[in-house]
Amino acid sequence: MTPKNNIIIGIIIALLVVASYNVDANPIEFVEGLPNLAIVVDEMIQVEPKYIPTALWAMFETIQMAFIGTIVGVAIALPLSMLAARNLNSKYVYAPIRALLAATRTFPSILWALLFVIMVGLGPFAGVLAIIMYTIGFIAKLQYEVIETIDSDPMDAISSIGVSKFQLIHYVAIPESASHLLSQMLYMFDYNVRQTSILGLVGAGGIGFYIINYIKFFEYGKAAIFMIVVLATVLIIDWVSVKIRDKYIIKSQHGMEVTTK
Amino acid sequence: MKQIQMTKNLSFSLISTNKIIQMNNVWTSYDSKNFALEGINLSIDRGTNYAIVGQSGSGKSTLLKLMNGMMIPSKGTIKIDYVTPNMNNKKFKKMMHTIGYIPQSLGLVKNITVLENILLGALPRLNKIQSLFNKFPEHEIKEAIKIITQVGLTGKENRKAHMLSGGEKRRVAIARALMQKPTILLADEIVSELDHVTSREIMDLISEAQKRMNLTAIMVHHDIQLALEYANRVAVIKEGQKILEIGVEGDTIVDFQTGDMNTEEILEMYTDDSKK
Repeated sequence: MTPKNNIIIGIIIALLVVASYNVDANPIEFVEGLPNLAIVVDEMIQVEPKYIPTALWAMFETIQMAFIGTIVGVAIALPLSMLAARNLNSKYVYAPIRALLAATRTFPSILWALLFVIMVGLGPFAGVLAIIMYTIGFIAKLQYEVIETIDSDPMDAISSIGVSKFQLIHYVAIPESASHLLSQMLYMFDYNVRQTSILGLVGAGGIGFYIINYIKFFEYGKAAIFMIVVLATVLIIDWVSVKIRDKYIIKSQHGMEVTTK
Repeated sequence: MKQIQMTKNLSFSLISTNKIIQMNNVWTSYDSKNFALEGINLSIDRGTNYAIVGQSGSGKSTLLKLMNGMMIPSKGTIKIDYVTPNMNNKKFKKMMHTIGYIPQSLGLVKNITVLENILLGALPRLNKIQSLFNKFPEHEIKEAIKIITQVGLTGKENRKAHMLSGGEKRRVAIARALMQKPTILLADEIVSELDHVTSREIMDLISEAQKRMNLTAIMVHHDIQLALEYANRVAVIKEGQKILEIGVEGDTIVDFQTGDMNTEEILEMYTDDSKK
């Protein structure tokens, strides 16, 4: 520990105390509130199994929303990411596209959902639109970053044949960045399922609609069923995507490692 | 019948004396002070197997990039078939379709198969609809299979490019260049990093294709022995300048800069140079 480190740690602790005071974060209140948690947990334990079919159906709806949102979002994001990549376009093309993508990422999906509820009314469609918007901003950014880091050697070699820009993207940029795309799509789907689960808060469909309503009416036992279903689903999706990743992605990376000199 | 044959041969020999590549006092620089090439003069006959030899950093790779229009000289003129190479020149962009260029890194697309990599050489011959739907015409696929046999990759058509050995990767890069139906083949240190036997196999392959298709092959090497073995002409580049150009015909070697010398003297000269 150097004196310099001590000063830095001191400053961080001071900032922590000031910030906690400003936002009324009081550890004593937390401890005093613990018995309330016990009440909620106690009520939650009294789950009502007859709601399981409803919960499963609501979860199925949520997954479908996330699925549509992910697929459509990725389909729109891919061409945009090609336009946003600095190594494929001039400044006048990529700069406005990047600004647009940054704007879509500024709002979390729940704000997009609010906006679309106003536009198309209550229900799952507003939620799907919100997921699409968020997916576009997110996947396009990840993807243009991948495109910018792809090996410039094949790009140079193929452009020296005198091919068109479209051919260069179609035959070199896309295959070179494709292996990352699968893993990003899996991650995005996983993330979207969790996101869609809370979009019900603003009336944009999905399982969150049930959870928020039961909590509002203090029916914690019913809410618990729905929450457990969400938890189980997220765990299953996580497990499946790990399996898919192992099968398709890890393998190709091993192949590359073997041949790297 | 015999006469036609003879006239054909005659016209053939006339074309073959054409200068396909001409460089006049070419200078290139990355910034205003440091020059990669300093006043290079080159003139290469059509159908020559030409070698450029030099140590790393001598500017030999730059020479190739100037020939395929990826770089533009800061001073001097270059003509490829009487056209100035420049990627943004429409006339030259058409010529690039038939200039096979194999960079030192080979530039293979890792995640696609051998066959798909080779078909990339036919991209300029595809129309917009065909390239949109990734539909290569049947005769192009047949041509690719034929070339795969020629370069000795039969049975590996569907391997991913990153699963191949160093020698096989070079065969794919050569096949891709041949798929362009090239008139000029540029290769940058294609056999460096390879073992002796594989080097010879790759060089034999290129040399055979060069003779069969009457290509102008320009190959960059750092091993002068290998260059002398395969090339009709060898230029030695040192620190951006051409210090030697020799013609090779079997065992006899003609020096174009310092008059007649024998093989040993030239080799000794270069060996001394490389020791400094």
